Amino acid sequence: MKIHDEIDNYLAADLHSDLSDEEQNALHAHLVECASCRQAHQESKIMNSVLEEKFANEKPDAAFEQRMLAEFRNRIPQKNGSVAKFIVDLMRLRATQVAAVAAVLLALVQVGRMITGEGAIRRNELANSVDLYQRSAATQSSNGRTEADADFKTEQRAKLAKADALQPGRELNNQKRPAKAAQFSDASIAPAAPNSVTGGVAGRMATLAPPAAQPTAEEQQSKDENELHEMASTSVPAVAAPPALANRKLIRNATVDLEIVSFDDARQKITAFANEDRGYIATTRSEKQANGKLKGQIVVKVLPENLDRFLQKLRGLGELKNQTLGTEDITKAYFDTDARLKNARVMEQRLVEMLKRKSDDINDLLQVEKELGRVREQIEQMQGELKFWDSQVQFATVTISLAEKDMEEPAKFLLKERAQLALYTPEVEKVYNDLKALASPKVQITNAQLDRDNTGRVSARVSMLIAPEESDGVISKAKAMGRVENFQVQTERVAQGGEGMSENAKTKRDKVELNISISRDEQEQAFQQTTLRVRTSAVDEKAKKLRDLAGKQGGRVRTSSFSRDPDGREYANVTLRVPMKNYNALIQSLDSLGKVENVSVQRQNRSGGQIDEANAPADLSIQVYSQGNIVSSDTGLIATLRRTISQSAGAIMWSLRMIGVAIAFLAPWVIALVGIIWLARRIRSRRS
Amino acid sequence: MMEASEREVYRAAIHGDREAFEMIIRSQSRPLFAIAYGILQNREEAEDTVQDALVKAWKSRWRVRDPEKFPAWLCMIARHCARDVFRKHRTVPLSKMPEIPGSERPQTTIIDRHLDSALASLPELHRAAISLRYFEEMDYATIENRLGLTNGSLRGILGRALASMRKQLKPALASEQS
Repeated sequence: MKIHDEIDNYLAADLHSDLSDEEQNALHAHLVECASCRQAHQESKIMNSVLEEKFANEKPDAAFEQRMLAEFRNRIPQKNGSVAKFIVDLMRLRATQVAAVAAVLLALVQVGRMITGEGAIRRNELANSVDLYQRSAATQSSNGRTEADADFKTEQRAKLAKADALQPGRELNNQKRPAKAAQFSDASIAPAAPNSVTGGVAGRMATLAPPAAQPTAEEQQSKDENELHEMASTSVPAVAAPPALANRKLIRNATVDLEIVSFDDARQKITAFANEDRGYIATTRSEKQANGKLKGQIVVKVLPENLDRFLQKLRGLGELKNQTLGTEDITKAYFDTDARLKNARVMEQRLVEMLKRKSDDINDLLQVEKELGRVREQIEQMQGELKFWDSQVQFATVTISLAEKDMEEPAKFLLKERAQLALYTPEVEKVYNDLKALASPKVQITNAQLDRDNTGRVSARVSMLIAPEESDGVISKAKAMGRVENFQVQTERVAQGGEGMSENAKTKRDKVELNISISRDEQEQAFQQTTLRVRTSAVDEKAKKLRDLAGKQGGRVRTSSFSRDPDGREYANVTLRVPMKNYNALIQSLDSLGKVENVSVQRQNRSGGQIDEANAPADLSIQVYSQGNIVSSDTGLIATLRRTISQSAGAIMWSLRMIGVAIAFLAPWVIALVGIIWLARRIRSRRS
Repeated sequence: MMEASEREVYRAAIHGDREAFEMIIRSQSRPLFAIAYGILQNREEAEDTVQDALVKAWKSRWRVRDPEKFPAWLCMIARHCARDVFRKHRTVPLSKMPEIPGSERPQTTIIDRHLDSALASLPELHRAAISLRYFEEMDYATIENRLGLTNGSLRGILGRALASMRKQLKPALASEQS
C-alpha cells in the first residue's frame, strides 16, 4: 500500500493543504480503512495546532521590517566611496568596454536619482523615528522598561515590547496561559484599544466588580520599573475574575431529540436523573400514533451547574438525534432593571412623604396619589420581571423530545386489486346487458358504454367495483360470458399511516376494480394463421367438401371464391376460422381432398394475460386448384395443319398480289411497244 | 516564474539600486527571519543574523547574475550566517534554553518546552522548512525554491520532520489533551 508507507508525507502535505484532489481522496479512503494511520492523522492535527500556536507567538512584530531597514542604513551608510565601488562592481559584471561605458552612464543617472530621492526618504524616516521615540517615551511611565539602556539596538527592542503592550489582541489566541490576565490589566488602563475584545471584557468586569478593579488600577499607576512586579500585579484581576463571573445572570436552556425504545421507560429514567441532579420535571406531554408508537415532550428544570452532567446522562437513554445548548446573558438587563427598581422605590418613598405633608389643595393630592399608583405599578412589574428572571436563572430548562423507534412504521396495509378482462363474443349486446345485470350493493357498476362505429362494429366497456368477498365469483361469472382474450390482475400493497415494512401491521383487501371490454369475435385477431394449397382435379366439388369439413370441425367460412382461367385451370379460395382445438383435426382431414402443398403457419404470441388457447381462433386460407389442360389449344397436329394451310393460303395471296403489281407495272410499256410496232408495219405496208 | 516587476526590482538591486534593495529588505526579511529562527530557535539571535545576512548580501550582490535566483541566494546567505552563529555560540544544549536570561518568555508551558527540544533534535534544514511554512505560510513550491531543494522533495522532508516530532511529543500531547 503506497499511502500507508508514505503516510507521514501525506499527512504533512494534507495539513499544509498541498495535496491534489486525487491524493486527498486517496488519503481519506485509506484513513477510513487503517486505524493506525487514523491515529497518526489525529495526532498530527493536534501537533499542527500546537506548532501553529507556537509560531504565531514567535512571529516578528509589525515594526520588524522598519528595524531591519534602520539597522541596514546604519551599517551601510551612503558614501561617495560606494559610488566608486558601484562602478567597480559594474565593471566586473560587464566584460566589454562599451558595456562598461554604458554602465558608468547608468550609474551616474542612478546616483543622481538616489541623491534627489534619498533626501526625501531620509526626512520621512527621521519623522517616523521621532514619532516612534515619542510614543515610547509616553508609555515609558506605565511600561517603564528601559531607562539606562542607551544602546540603539536595545532601544529598538523596547519599542517592540511596547508595541506588544499596545496590541493586546495579538495574543488572544493563547488563552491557556496566565498571560491572558496580564492583557486584561493592560487593556483596562490603555483604552487606546477600544475595539479589542479583551478590553471590552475587562471594562465590563470593572463595572460588575468595582472593588476588584479598583486595586488593579492603583497597582498599575504605582507600578515601578521592575518587570517581576508587573507579573505579580496581574495575578490580582485573575483572582478577582471568578466572583464577577458568578454574579452573571445567565439563562441556560437545552433541547434534546432522542429516539428511544420505550417512552415510559425513558420517562421514568429521566425522572430519576432529574431527581439525582436536584431538578424536577416541569411538563410532560405524550401522544400515541396510529401505529401504536408513542411520541412526546418532557420539560425538565435542573440546576445550571448540573446541566452538562444531566445532558451526558440523557445520551445514554437512546439515540441522540439532535441537541442544542443555548445560553442567554441577561446580566445587563437584570441589573438595569434592578437599578430602576431601586430608583422607583426612592420615588415611592418621596411621594408617600409628600402625602403625609397634607397639602390643602385637593388637586395636588390627587396628582400625587395618581403618580404614586403609577410608580407602585412599575415597581410591581419590575419585581415580577426580576422574579421571573431569577427563576429562569436558578434552573436551566431542558426540553426533551422523545420518539419511539420505528415511528414511521405503517399501521396497516391495503391490498388493492385491479383486473382487466377482454372478452370476445358473437353477441356483444347480450353480454353487455348480462354484465349490467350483475349489479348489486356489493358490485357497483362505475362505467358502462356501448359503441357502434360507422361500419357497424359493436364494442362495449364495463367498469365495476366489487367487494373483496364477492370478487372471485363475479370475475368467474364474467369470464364465462364469452371467450376470454386477456385477463390481467394487478395487486398493489399500499401502506397506511407510515411507510416501509412492518411485521405487525394487518393487511386488508380493498375493493376490486374490474374493467371489462367486450368486442365481437370477428374483430379478434387470429391466434394462428395458416396458408396452404390443395391440388386436385375437381376443384368445385372439393371446395364444397372442404366447406363441409370445416363446418364439421366447428369452423366458419369467412370468404370463398371460385375462378377459372382460359387454360382450364380452376381456383377456389376459401378462408376459414376454426377454434385452435379443432385445428389439427381439420388439417388432417384436408389430406382427403388432394395433395396439400405450400403450408405456412404464422403464430402470434400475444404478450401478457391469460389466453384461452384452445378456443383461440385459427385462420386458414386454403386455395384448391386444378392443373387444367396439359396441352394447350395452340399446339397439336390439327393446329399445325390449320396453321400450315392458313400460312400457304397467305403465301398464294401474297404472290397473286405481287403478279398484279408486276402487270400493272409492265402493261403501259407493252401497250406503247405494240402501238409502235403496229405503226411501223403500217408505214412499211404503205411503202410496199 | 516571478513577475516582471519583481524581477526588475531584483535586477536593479543587483546593479546597486539602494531603493530596490531596501524594497527587497521590506519584502524578504520575514522569510529570512523564519529561516534564521528555524535554525537558531531564538528571536534576538535570529534578528541579528538577518541583519548580518542583509549586509553581506548587499556587499556581494554583484555575484548574482540571474535576478530570478536572488531570493534563493538571500536565503542561502541567511542559512550560512545562522549556521555560523549556531556553531560559535551554542555550547549550551537547546533543552536548557528557557533558562538563558532574556531569551524566551519565562512562563513557557511544559508542552512548549517539549516542542522546543523536539524542534532542536531535527536537522537544521528541516527546522528551516518548518519555520518557513508556519511563519510565512508559504506554499511548498516557494519553500523548495528558497531552500534550493529539488521539485517535490519538500513533502518528504516535512513529512519526516513532523513524524519525528510527533513521536517525541506523543506523551506531552496526550497529557495536554486530557
